[in-house]
Amino acid sequence: MSDSPREHGHPATEPARGAGESPGVHARVDANPEELARRTAELARKAAEFQILRRVSSDINSTLDLEEIYDVALRTMDELFEFNHANILLPEPGGETLAVVASRGYENQATGGRVRIGTGVIGVVAQKRKMLHVNNLGQQRAYAAAQRRQMMRSGRATEIGDAVPVPGLPNAESQIAIPLLIRDELIGVFSIESPVRRTFSEHDRELVTIVANQIATAIHNARLYEERRRAAEALQAANVSLEARVAERTAALERELRVAEELLSDARSRVEGPLIGESATVHALRDAIAREAARTEPLLLTGPPGAGKEAVAHAVHGASRLRGPFIFVSCPELHTQHRHVPVDSRSAIRPEGLLLASKLELASGGTLFLEAVHELPLELQPALQKMLENHASFRSGDESHVSDVRVIASTTRDVARDVQSGRLTPLFRLLSRNRIVVPALADRREDIPALVDHFVRRLARRFGRVVDGVSPEAMRRLETYMWPGNIRELRTVLERAILVSRGTVLEIDEELLDEKLAVGSYRLVSLLGSGGMGEVWLARHRLLARPAAVKLIRPDAQLGAAHDQLVRRFQREAQVTAGLRSPHTVQLYDFGVNDGGSFYYVMEFLEGLDLHQIVSRFGPQPTERVITFLRQACRSLAEAHEHGLVHRDIKPANLFVTRLGPEYDYLKVLDFGIVKNQPGQDATMLSAQGILQGTPAFMAPELVFGESRVDGRADLYSLACSAYWLLTGQLLFPASTPAEMLLHHVRTSPVPPSQVSELPVARELEAILMMCLEKDPAKRPLSALDLDSQLARVPCEPWMQDRARAWWETHAPDVVARRSF
Amino acid sequence: MRTTRLPAEIRPVLDNGVPAVMVTCSADGVPNATVLSQVYYVDETHAALSFQFFSKTIRNVRENPRAYVCVFDITGHASWALQLEFQRSETEGPIFDAMEMQIEAIASATGMSGIFKLRAADIYRVLSVERLPSPEAAS
Repeated sequence: MSDSPREHGHPATEPARGAGESPGVHARVDANPEELARRTAELARKAAEFQILRRVSSDINSTLDLEEIYDVALRTMDELFEFNHANILLPEPGGETLAVVASRGYENQATGGRVRIGTGVIGVVAQKRKMLHVNNLGQQRAYAAAQRRQMMRSGRATEIGDAVPVPGLPNAESQIAIPLLIRDELIGVFSIESPVRRTFSEHDRELVTIVANQIATAIHNARLYEERRRAAEALQAANVSLEARVAERTAALERELRVAEELLSDARSRVEGPLIGESATVHALRDAIAREAARTEPLLLTGPPGAGKEAVAHAVHGASRLRGPFIFVSCPELHTQHRHVPVDSRSAIRPEGLLLASKLELASGGTLFLEAVHELPLELQPALQKMLENHASFRSGDESHVSDVRVIASTTRDVARDVQSGRLTPLFRLLSRNRIVVPALADRREDIPALVDHFVRRLARRFGRVVDGVSPEAMRRLETYMWPGNIRELRTVLERAILVSRGTVLEIDEELLDEKLAVGSYRLVSLLGSGGMGEVWLARHRLLARPAAVKLIRPDAQLGAAHDQLVRRFQREAQVTAGLRSPHTVQLYDFGVNDGGSFYYVMEFLEGLDLHQIVSRFGPQPTERVITFLRQACRSLAEAHEHGLVHRDIKPANLFVTRLGPEYDYLKVLDFGIVKNQPGQDATMLSAQGILQGTPAFMAPELVFGESRVDGRADLYSLACSAYWLLTGQLLFPASTPAEMLLHHVRTSPVPPSQVSELPVARELEAILMMCLEKDPAKRPLSALDLDSQLARVPCEPWMQDRARAWWETHAPDVVARRSF
Repeated sequence: MRTTRLPAEIRPVLDNGVPAVMVTCSADGVPNATVLSQVYYVDETHAALSFQFFSKTIRNVRENPRAYVCVFDITGHASWALQLEFQRSETEGPIFDAMEMQIEAIASATGMSGIFKLRAADIYRVLSVERLPSPEAAS
């Protein structure tokens, strides 16, 4: 605007005007040519200003980019005022300084200069928020410098501060600084400078104010936009993060839901599984459940471990009219759980009782399930019994507090046998009035395919596997396996099979089942026989691959002191037995107590037949062969008796005949001194003093009397009974009950075998046997060795190996041909 | 031409802070001349002069309220002679603030804050205004 009429000032006669007026447009135009030219120039200047203002309004409002706004602002100010040097400064965080964000016209000045608020023209404008024009800066600085010198000369130098450099022209003569304001908020400062003195009219002030307002608004809008853009970005980022977290949480919840569904499915499977199947056994079980569900009396569930007694209890509860909860109590764990029960020291009730009482209260209107009730502490049994009898409150014993809880208990004990033997506690007598026998899986093998299908489908879904089923071979193996762990074991085996399976058809290899049937270093291979409370398994050493026979015996004793005493006795006797070296005593490899609390001992595996089987299958045996068997048994007994160990259960089933290398009819005495287990009879007992032991058919009178001092001659009596069986094929005393038979042993004189046997019996042998069968031990042979000597003197044709071999080849060729494993 | 009102064209001259010379006279007739940093336009009949260090000037004005001020129009190349009469001093208000702002701007940048400052805005009534021939025109 070098031709701007502003530089020449306005005519003195022209009144002051506002910026919005158009001077001269409505005024009278004089005929004076100079005045006309001036008016024309004024109009041109106004038009130019209008164009600039219109353009700046358009340009500055068409962008939200700060750099573009600065550029438009600097260019516009330059076009309007031609100061040629301009700065735009914005407040810095903290509010104490301004920083140059854009500049124009300075050769050596980049943006980034800084001004303290309150210092210099710009700083004072920022502080006062008013426009300031100074056009005699040089004089002002000179005046201030003169004052400085004057003060220094007058000794007031300490009052003077340091000069503060400010961005801009060092030799500026004129400077205008305009605050950029939005509703009193300082947006920044626009500063223009000139090295020469420049006037700045009221019109210029108004003009620059208009432009400054435009700049302030544009900067403010751009910054708002930027802030909102950043906020939007932050919001978007937060949304993305939130969405990710929601998705993550959703996924976690879905996983938890799946796990919960699996657990529910698993729980249902545990409950429903045992009742699956169409066998007659399961139908009978379902009928029993329906019958018991309609009753309220206590119910006792018996059956082997893992057979599904808890599931049956759930089924009874579910089918009943009870609407209360089903409360589970593990009786073996009462000992450990009661530690968490607050105890009132004044109360006579033990912590276990308090815990049981609290469970009873929880079960109000529902069912209290006492798992393994045979392990309920003895001291709690009377209180529970009283509650069951009178429906009284367990805690107070007050019969006015009628209990509305249905009690269902479970046990693995053979209650039927205990009933017969009269060994039940009063509580058990009460509980056993209503019983359901939950069958072992081995007793319902026809249900195995349905159970396998049920568990495989549920477990496969739980583990996220695709399983079509089990292979025919695997199914055959599952159907023939003994399942000592019952349904629980079946489920575990299938679970493992699914986890290790690589295909869709499950294979159940032998190892998978073997692993479940291991005692010590031996894997159980197949069940050889079972009865009473014991089982005998063919086993194999894990490393040596040596065949062995493992006998498992479930102790008939509760956990606690009695069990511990039993274990110690078992260990002691096993150690003594292991010390026997007679080749006619079965060799003991190992013994112990497994995780289930069962005793086991591992002995050499023998191929052959016991004397009970031989006579049962092939009839009485000739004298010479009987003598051969008896003499071998005597050698075994002689060593044992020498160690003070009385067998107490000599009988044909414990006299096993095998082939030892080339030698046939090699006899081994089994079950030496450890545990007496008589298959087919409910008389499995440990050899504790004062307890009736042995098998009634072969029991010496002194054992019947329960005498405390029993010696090896009791075994000689039993051996003679066994010989009687061998020679005649009949028991010494036929009787209909064990008690009657025992009475015969005490009172009745035996009939000589020669009068009973269909085979001839050597007279000398008969005499020896009758001596052994004397009621008074003192009248029997002195010892096993004595008996052996007497037998050796019986005149008869010797039982030679070729006859023995011929016998085996004729009667049991498979045994002769078979090699263990 | 002499007038008793400040003409419109003198306003930008005053607002732009053109340096001025002020002459006062003591009661006993001794004159004193000094340089003014600001002559502020108040209205057509009043102007404000900055009171900073002029102890002699102030004393003279207190004794003899008459003052003579000469201002220069650097763009119009004209000078103006103002005869004034002291009326009052203001230490606050819009006139004081406007004058103080400029002084503070210079003082703060030259290390003279607190020293080089406006002490008061002295308000004078305009007795006469006369435009003088410019030096260039005179020569």
